[in-house]
Amino acid sequence: MDLIPQAFSDAVLLAGLYTLMAVGLSLGFGVIRIINFAQGEMIMLGAYGAFWLFTLFGIDPLISLPLLVVAGFALGWVIFGGFVVKVLDAPHINQILLTFGLGLAIQHIAIILWTGNARSTQPTYATSSFLIGDVLVVHGRLVAFLVAVVMVVALIAWLRWSETGLATRAVAENRGAATLMGIDVRKIYALSFGVSCALSVATGVVVSFILTITPFMGFPMLVKAIAIVILGGLGSIAGTVIGAIVLAFAETFASYYVPEGSGWAEGIAFILIIGILILSPRGIRGQAVETN
Amino acid sequence: MGWRIVSWSIWALGFALALLIPLFGNPMMIDITFRICSLVVLAVSWNVMASAGLISLGHSAFFGLGAYAAILTANLAGAPFWLTLLVAIGAGAVLGSALALITGRLRGIYFAITTLAVSEGLRVIAVMLPDMTGGAKGAYLAAKSFPGVTAINLGMGVAAVGTCLIAWTISRSRYHYAFRAMRANEHASQMLGIYPLKYRVAITAISGSLASLAGGVEVWHGGYLDPALAFDLHITITSQIAPILGGLYTLSGPVLGAIATILLGDATRIGLGHIQGASLLVFGMVLVVCVLYLPQGIRGGLSDVFRRRSVTCASHVSLAKSADVARP
Repeated sequence: MDLIPQAFSDAVLLAGLYTLMAVGLSLGFGVIRIINFAQGEMIMLGAYGAFWLFTLFGIDPLISLPLLVVAGFALGWVIFGGFVVKVLDAPHINQILLTFGLGLAIQHIAIILWTGNARSTQPTYATSSFLIGDVLVVHGRLVAFLVAVVMVVALIAWLRWSETGLATRAVAENRGAATLMGIDVRKIYALSFGVSCALSVATGVVVSFILTITPFMGFPMLVKAIAIVILGGLGSIAGTVIGAIVLAFAETFASYYVPEGSGWAEGIAFILIIGILILSPRGIRGQAVETN
Repeated sequence: MGWRIVSWSIWALGFALALLIPLFGNPMMIDITFRICSLVVLAVSWNVMASAGLISLGHSAFFGLGAYAAILTANLAGAPFWLTLLVAIGAGAVLGSALALITGRLRGIYFAITTLAVSEGLRVIAVMLPDMTGGAKGAYLAAKSFPGVTAINLGMGVAAVGTCLIAWTISRSRYHYAFRAMRANEHASQMLGIYPLKYRVAITAISGSLASLAGGVEVWHGGYLDPALAFDLHITITSQIAPILGGLYTLSGPVLGAIATILLGDATRIGLGHIQGASLLVFGMVLVVCVLYLPQGIRGGLSDVFRRRSVTCASHVSLAKSADVARP
């Protein structure tokens, strides 16, 4: 049996998920210029939210998705107003350590509340599948892909056509000029931090029926998201999509064709990070983001 | 002048304790001293790097590499204790300078991300090469000659004292000013005639070899190593919490911080031990609180107390503070 169509379809579905996973980080970095090291924990919280709503009340993850996205936005807003706003003009080291510490605290609150046991959400479509020719498609992964596409398209539409979206892009491009045009930069920061957290929570809801849920799931996903964002260029949504496609294809084909590939595939993100930072720190489509 | 004598005698007392407790202490004191000394090495090493504006989010990369270098030379080549430590130091220096050369002009957040990626990448490599490293199952130390527990404990004490002396030497040398200028603004430091790459390679090599040394001694102490243990995120976290808690960019800060971190960790384990994850939750909160409310750490708090005693000291502290705040 020829494996290429199967690997191709797996990679495309994974690329959709990876785009959703990284786009929140990309938005946050592009606008606020802070890498939120607690972003992975937002994914984890989204997954637990979906798990508990499903287990306790039987609410399908797709129905709880809008609810949890709003909750994620609110949480992001609170974290920004309570913590991040205080280090906006501080040295990088303070920003990195603050978000890192927040992530650590959230992760261990999750361990205390819900133990370290692995769990998973099992709606009927999570494991059922269908065949197109020789290609096996798992319903759950297809659903995840579609949710990701809808959310990313919605984000792009918001950035392109809504007034606040345009203001957000203006702030990302030139903070000083945006201030002079009468844009409330602090409000836009809070807004984009909230949206960025909401997107990560949505990622968590979607992966809740694909991966096992543990309090530790966020950090590896954060590292992958960073790899994608760096690959695509910091602060470019189109670049993020390209980065996600590259990572998804590299990982999928490595696990199909390299001996013991699924183990090595975990390392591809790190190789990409190091490679891109050496060869071209601006990524494929990034704008010039020079930091001191 | 009086304060200088006090601070010298505190340092001398600390060194004496680090070297004498492994020889004469009771088992509990020896254990605590060992862990404090290990963290002192890591924290001072992290702080040395941070003083040059290089934020490491992957100190476990050096620690783990040193640990693997030590266990592999001991098991495969039958090398004695001191030789495996030399190999560990060499491996850390090579990784550190390679990191500096590779990352070249990357600064700040990009450098931090690269260190994170290197650490995770090394972990994947260690898992995927089971023939050499024992893979995820791990490997036991099977040394031909075991130097004895006291020698290993003393080794960590010597490492901690040596690390402090190296950091002191750097802080007394004129290179110290170059590192400070690089931390404040690398472009501007180039204008002053500093060639950043040279200093960058030197500082990452020193810092990397120190952290690797800690890893090397730890593996002789524990006798077992697996990738999750070697490249544990916990090591990265504690080696940055200690300098922040104690006082960034200072000599005594990381040491004070290391002592406080170990005691805090033990206290939460005793007080809240039945709650899994409580100690790291406390560390996370310490990190957040320190960044927001105590940016000068314990040392800054202490010098605030001294500042009330003498006016000249106060002007120095506020100058140092304004210099730090002015950084872009």
